[in-house]
Amino acid sequence: DLEVEPAAEPWPENATLYQPLKEDQILLSDHASSLAVQAYLRMCGLPVQVLCRVNSEFMSPSGKIPFIHVGNQVVSELGPIVQFTKAKGHSLSDGLDDVQRAEMKAYMELVNNMLLTAELYIQWCDDATAAEISRPRYSSPYSWPLSKILAYQKQWEVRRKMNAIGWGGKTLQQVYEDVSQCCQALSQRLGMQPYFFNKQPTELDALVFGHLFTILTTRLTSSELAERVKSYSNLLSFCRRIEQTYFEDKSS
Amino acid sequence: FYFFLVQSLDPLPMHGRDLGVHPDDLIEPPEQEQESKQEILENKDVIVQHVNIEGLGRTKEDLLGYEISDVFHAKSLIDVMKRAHVARLRLLRLGIFKDVEVLIDTSEGTDALPNGLDVTFEVTEIKRLTGSYNTMVGNNEGSMVLGLKLPNMFGRAEKLTFQFSYGTKETSYGLSFFKPQPGFFERNLTLNLYKVTGQFPWSSLKETDRGVSAELNFPLGVTSHTLKWEGVWRELGCLARSASFAVREESGHSLKSAVSHTVSVDSRNSAIFPSRGALFRINQELAGYTGGDASFLKEDFELQLNSYHHYCYCGLVLSASLWGGMLYPIKGQPSCIADRFYLGGPTSVRGFGMYSIGPQSEGDYLGGEAYWAGGLHLYTPLPFRPGKGGFGDLFRTHFFLNAGNLCNLNYGEGPQAHLQKLAECIRWSYGAGIVLRLGNIARLELNYCVPMGVQSGDRYILRFTQICKISVI
Repeated sequence: DLEVEPAAEPWPENATLYQPLKEDQILLSDHASSLAVQAYLRMCGLPVQVLCRVNSEFMSPSGKIPFIHVGNQVVSELGPIVQFTKAKGHSLSDGLDDVQRAEMKAYMELVNNMLLTAELYIQWCDDATAAEISRPRYSSPYSWPLSKILAYQKQWEVRRKMNAIGWGGKTLQQVYEDVSQCCQALSQRLGMQPYFFNKQPTELDALVFGHLFTILTTRLTSSELAERVKSYSNLLSFCRRIEQTYFEDKSS
Repeated sequence: FYFFLVQSLDPLPMHGRDLGVHPDDLIEPPEQEQESKQEILENKDVIVQHVNIEGLGRTKEDLLGYEISDVFHAKSLIDVMKRAHVARLRLLRLGIFKDVEVLIDTSEGTDALPNGLDVTFEVTEIKRLTGSYNTMVGNNEGSMVLGLKLPNMFGRAEKLTFQFSYGTKETSYGLSFFKPQPGFFERNLTLNLYKVTGQFPWSSLKETDRGVSAELNFPLGVTSHTLKWEGVWRELGCLARSASFAVREESGHSLKSAVSHTVSVDSRNSAIFPSRGALFRINQELAGYTGGDASFLKEDFELQLNSYHHYCYCGLVLSASLWGGMLYPIKGQPSCIADRFYLGGPTSVRGFGMYSIGPQSEGDYLGGEAYWAGGLHLYTPLPFRPGKGGFGDLFRTHFFLNAGNLCNLNYGEGPQAHLQKLAECIRWSYGAGIVLRLGNIARLELNYCVPMGVQSGDRYILRFTQICKISVI
C-alpha cells in the first residue's frame, strides 16, 4: 500500500464534525467549543457537515468536543484542528507577524482559562444549574440507573478539576466578575475594529464568537451571565457580524 | 489357631469397631460361618433403624436429612452399602464437607431389633473461610488475584466467593452468592456482582462491564435449565488510536438489561475429550423489555455428537458439531458490537485468525448478526502408541474439517433470503494435528490447517502450524 501523507490530501467533501445532540443533550461549554470550530472552518472556507451523536464525547480521541473526521483522520479541539488545517495549507493567521501571533495566542489562552472555565463552573459547580439543567441534559440519552451514574460521575470529575485549578473556593459572583473582566479585556482589544486583527478574522475571532454567541443565546437558570456580556456593545455587534457573514444560511 | 486367623482377618464391616475375638466364635467351624455370611449379605432382611451424622458444626441438620433419607429404605445389606455409598457422594457434592466416612453397625440400645442396623456418617466440615492469592502474568499485563471463599455460610450449603484482580492495566472483581434448595441441590440460585474488563485486539476494542445478575438453575427431566436476569453497564472504547472509525463510533456507555433462558441436554462422558454421548443446548436472550438501552432478541444453539468405534485394535472417536445463532435488533436500534457474534480461530473454524471472519472495517472485525459453524473430527490414538498406558494416553491424533459463515442479515427479507445469505461465501478448512488433554479444564492443540473459501477481509494463517489453547467449559 502506498502511504499518502495526510497533509498532501485536499480537504474532502465529506468532512464531518461530531457533537452531542443539539436539542436535548449538549451543554453550554461543549456548544461554545463546537461553534468556535464551526466558525473557524467556515472562515477558512472548508465545508464540514455537523453530525450529532449521543456518544460523541466518548468517540473523541481526547474525550473533548468537538472532533472532526476528515479522510481517515480524527482530530479534536480547536488548537489541534487549527494545526491540522494549517498542514493542509489553510490558515487564517498567516498574515500576522510574530508579535501579533503571540498576542493572539495570549488572548486565546485568556478565553480558555477564563470563559471556558467559567462556563464549566456555572454548569457543574453551581448546584441550581447542575440540578436543573446540566445533569438532566447530560444524562438524557441514557436509561436509569446509568443516567444518574454518568451525570454524577461527570459532575464529580469537573468539580475535582475545578478544585485542582483553584476555582473550587470561588463563589458564583466571583465567577461572574471574572467573566466581566475577561469581556472587558476582549472589548478593549477589539475596539471599533471589525475583527481582532483588523480586517481579517483569525482563529481568535472564531473562538471568541463561539463562546460569546453561545452565552448570549443559551438559557440558564439566571440570565446574569448573558447580561454581563451584553454590557459590552462592541462585542455584541462583533457576534452579530460574524453570525451574518458566516452563518447566514443557518439559523442558530 | 487356624480358625482364629481366618476370623480375625475377616473384613466384614458389620463387625465395625469390635476388633476383639470372642472365645465363643472359635467353636463354630468356618464353613458354617461362610454360609451364614453369604446369607447375611444377600438374603437376610435388614432394617435400618438409625442414620446418624456426626461431626456437624455449623451445618444445619435439616439440609442433610434429604441427602441421607434414602438409606432408610434399604432392605438387604448389599442395598444398605449401595445406598450409603450414594448418600456419601450426595453429601460430598454439597461442597461443604472435606471428607465423609460411612460406618455401618448393628443396632444397639433398648429398641434394637435383631436385624437392625445403624448407619453413621462421620463428616469433616470445610473451614469457614478459605483464601487464595495468585499472581498472573500474560497479555502484556501482570496482576495480583486475591480470592476469598466462605463455604456453607449459613449452614445450608450457601457459598459466598469473592475474587479481586489488581493489574497493571485493569482491575476487576467478582462477588458471587450461591444458594441451593435444601434437599434439591440441583435447583439453585446464584447472585453475582462483577466488574470485568476485556481487550479484543481483533476489533481494536476494549470493553469494561459492570454488572449484576441473578441465575436460577433447575433440572426438568433429562434437561437442565437456566433462567437468568442480567443488568450490565457496558463501556466500550478504542484499543488504539489507529482503530477504525466504525469501532470508534461504538465507543461510549450503554446499559443492557436482559432475561435469558438456556436449556441443555448433556449425555457426554466428558466435556473436554468426549468419546460418547451428545450435547444439545439452546440459549435465548431478550434485552430491552426490562429497562436499559440495548434492545434485541438473541438465539443460539449448539449440537455435538460423539461416537466411539473399535477398529484395528485401537479406539476411534468420531465427533460432529454444529452451532449457530442469530441476533435480531428490536425497536429499530442498530445492534451493538458487544452483542454480535464472532467467528474464526481455533475454537470454531481453524486456519482463520481469532474471530477474524466476516464483516470488517479497516482491519477491525465488527462481528455479525447471524452465523453458523460446524466441524467433523476424528480422534485416534497416536501412531505407534508411544507412552501407552501412561503419558501417551493424554494425546490424540486429530483430523478435522471445519466450516462456517458469519454475516449480517437484512431482516426485511424472508427466511429464504436469510438461508441463501448464510449459504454463500462459506469459509472452511481441513487439517490434522495432535491434541493434548490437560486435566478436565483445557486441551492443547497443534494443527496443520489448510483454510479454504477465504473471503476478502478475512484473516487466515496459510498452511502454517498453529498452537492454540482451548478452554472448554
